[in-house]
Amino acid sequence: MIDRRTTASLLALAATGLLVLSGCSGNAQGGEGDGGSPGRNITMIVPFSAGGGSDLAGRAIAQGLEDVTGSTVTVENIVGGSGAVGYSDLLAKEGDGTTLLASETALMTLPVVQDVQFSHESFTPIMKVGEDYNIVVVAADASYETCMDVVDAAAESSLTAAVSGATGPDHIAWSLIEDQHDISLERVTFESSAEVTAALLGGHIDVAATSPGEIVGQLESGDVKPLCALAPERYEYELLADVPTGAEQGIDVTFAQWRGFIAAGGVSEEHEQYWIDAAREYAETDAYETYIEDNMLQPQVLYGDEFRRYLDEYRQQVEAVLGDE
Amino acid sequence: MFDNLQLGLETAISPENLLWCFVGVMLGTVIGMLPGLGSATGVAILLPVTLGMEPVTALIMLAGIYYGSQYGASTSSILISTPGDSSSVVLTLDGYQMARKGRAGAALAVAALSSFLAAVISLIGLMALARPIADLALEFGPPENLAVILLGLATIVSFAGENMLRSLIMAAVGLLISMVGVASGFTTARFTFGNVNLLSGLDFVAVMIGIFAIGEVLQQIHRGGDPPIRARFRDLMLTKDEFRRSIAPAFRGTGLGFGLGVLPGAGATLATFMSYGLEKQVSKNRKEIGKGAVEGVAAPEASNNAAANASFIPTLSLGIPGSGTTAVLLGAFVIFGLQPGPQLFDQQPDLVWGLLVSFFFGNLLLLILNLPLAPVFAQVLRVPYSYLYPIILFMALIGAFAIGNNTFALWVVFGAGVFGYFMKRFDFPAAPLVLGLVLGPLLERSLVQTSSMGRGNLLILFERPISATLTVAAILAILAPVLLRAVRRRRRSALTSEREEIRQ
Repeated sequence: MIDRRTTASLLALAATGLLVLSGCSGNAQGGEGDGGSPGRNITMIVPFSAGGGSDLAGRAIAQGLEDVTGSTVTVENIVGGSGAVGYSDLLAKEGDGTTLLASETALMTLPVVQDVQFSHESFTPIMKVGEDYNIVVVAADASYETCMDVVDAAAESSLTAAVSGATGPDHIAWSLIEDQHDISLERVTFESSAEVTAALLGGHIDVAATSPGEIVGQLESGDVKPLCALAPERYEYELLADVPTGAEQGIDVTFAQWRGFIAAGGVSEEHEQYWIDAAREYAETDAYETYIEDNMLQPQVLYGDEFRRYLDEYRQQVEAVLGDE
Repeated sequence: MFDNLQLGLETAISPENLLWCFVGVMLGTVIGMLPGLGSATGVAILLPVTLGMEPVTALIMLAGIYYGSQYGASTSSILISTPGDSSSVVLTLDGYQMARKGRAGAALAVAALSSFLAAVISLIGLMALARPIADLALEFGPPENLAVILLGLATIVSFAGENMLRSLIMAAVGLLISMVGVASGFTTARFTFGNVNLLSGLDFVAVMIGIFAIGEVLQQIHRGGDPPIRARFRDLMLTKDEFRRSIAPAFRGTGLGFGLGVLPGAGATLATFMSYGLEKQVSKNRKEIGKGAVEGVAAPEASNNAAANASFIPTLSLGIPGSGTTAVLLGAFVIFGLQPGPQLFDQQPDLVWGLLVSFFFGNLLLLILNLPLAPVFAQVLRVPYSYLYPIILFMALIGAFAIGNNTFALWVVFGAGVFGYFMKRFDFPAAPLVLGLVLGPLLERSLVQTSSMGRGNLLILFERPISATLTVAAILAILAPVLLRAVRRRRRSALTSEREEIRQ
């Protein structure tokens, strides 16, 4: 039967339709002065297209901030240049406290490898929401049992490692491992983690490092075998609790894709503090926990200046690997 | 399997699920018609609306948007030569020609019928054989994909006809345009001139909208605009002859689309081009194709829908998306707390089978919706072109902006439009350009991957049975028409000389 929930959904659908039709991004000239709030209409830029990992993160954060601040947070996918267009858009919003951006590792890699006008220092870091470490996986029937087995085999003969994107965190992680153990792996670059998984299942490549959230289905079914997690500590999720860290096996490399959100550069201290407070409140909600668990992230949260220092360090690692390529 | 079907039927036929299925396919049709707003964006935008629903209901609706948009996208291609998405570009060839001849209603009806046929057949394939087919698809690694793409490029030869040189030039232009941006597998930016908008290349859909929609508008203005098409309502219906001629192409298109749709990466667009190329080779009316033949609509439209359904095979049975839109749908699974992966069929049988059975109802609704509407939509063309083209321009620009909320796309559209106008004026074919543009990035990616896998040696292509077979097929596809022509010519000259001998 068509119940009340259906009616509610239909109404919501109609409302969304109206929003989409009117192209309403609701630009923000909201009332100042309630607790340092920069305005009631906030824009969350997502520099990648709708439906991807960044978009899911952006929408989850936007919803969370909406709930804790009572403001309207509209997600706007500004797509292009592998993320560069969205960041450039935020760059032009200097001093505007009403525009946020759902950020991730592209903020760090783009300035190193491409000729862009921004770096992480151009913006105001607000919150690191969580970290997505890589786990090293092989096909279920592979002979390797630990990450050290892979390193030893790579020293003997040439192995292929699938990576998603030429500047992705998995590529950087492998480069750090290569430097540490003086080996070299042949990279086969794919466009997405899903393609990496397919290549691994088909036996076309030897090894991959991937976010656990991307491969959890194959881990559950036993089609792939996790060897180690390139994380400082073991995961607490049941499925991954038995996977040792790289350090336990003698590979002292941890490298993660982080997710978080930033504000434009040059925003007032009052607005910066407003968003940090809102972020702290968001981190306490169930919605935050659900997002982290659904995507199998590690909830390592940083705010404001701590986040900034983390990014400074991150930049050095990225530069060391990608800067001389 | 019949237990599962019954389970699926029970889920899909509940009034609530049927209602949302209907809403989904309706929205999909509209989203598909709007250029630039593809099904992936449509699903992503409407995903939050579904959060209050039961997971299965939500997924039924979201999937409905996906295949509904496949129906809608063909409408704007046929009527105003403005492809709704990349997989309906091919329809601007014969579909639009049919419309200009006053057969728009027939073209739309054939598109709907062949879509439905393809959807039902591929759905049966999907239900019966999902897991084995998915395992087979995994056999396709980079070398195999490279071989498929080479085979796709080889179909340019069949597009070419007498215009071989012009076709090859346009294919090369398409490949060249696809090179703009960061090289696959590397960090080097090419042809970007320091513009960050170009780092990820020229957007395919923006280029398409420019070349087809704007280019056509400019051309019409240049020529003074075609007179509105004065067709009586009755004449817009599909004739028996047209129906009969569409059957075989629709079946062939379904087969090809199903095969290519399973492969992650290659997908629907390539399938439409290859099935069109196939018709140009094997159809009885192959001479007519390109000038408004019903075969040129039936085959690509069937392959397009079959590919969309087939892309659910790796999505549901492995948790690996078969297309851009199914990738977004997988994101929806996670949001609903469902774990996509090899165990989905076992853990959530009512959900999976309910979803699959709903495809049947959805496609049936689309057919019921689209068949009577075909002649109605075709009435659009009775509007004088001078009133029509501002609307086309408006839709094209909105569509281009919608791709990335980015005004740079508008410049791409204008540039491509001027280019498209000169292409039309000097009689350069658009199809090879599109094929080059679609296949360029895929070709480069799989070439680089294959080369890495072979440690720099591309002969790996011939060391694996599937890729070796496909590569040889590609080479034959290029050579066969040339050889056939030579053989025919020799036979003909042999015949004439025989006749001359008899006469003597």
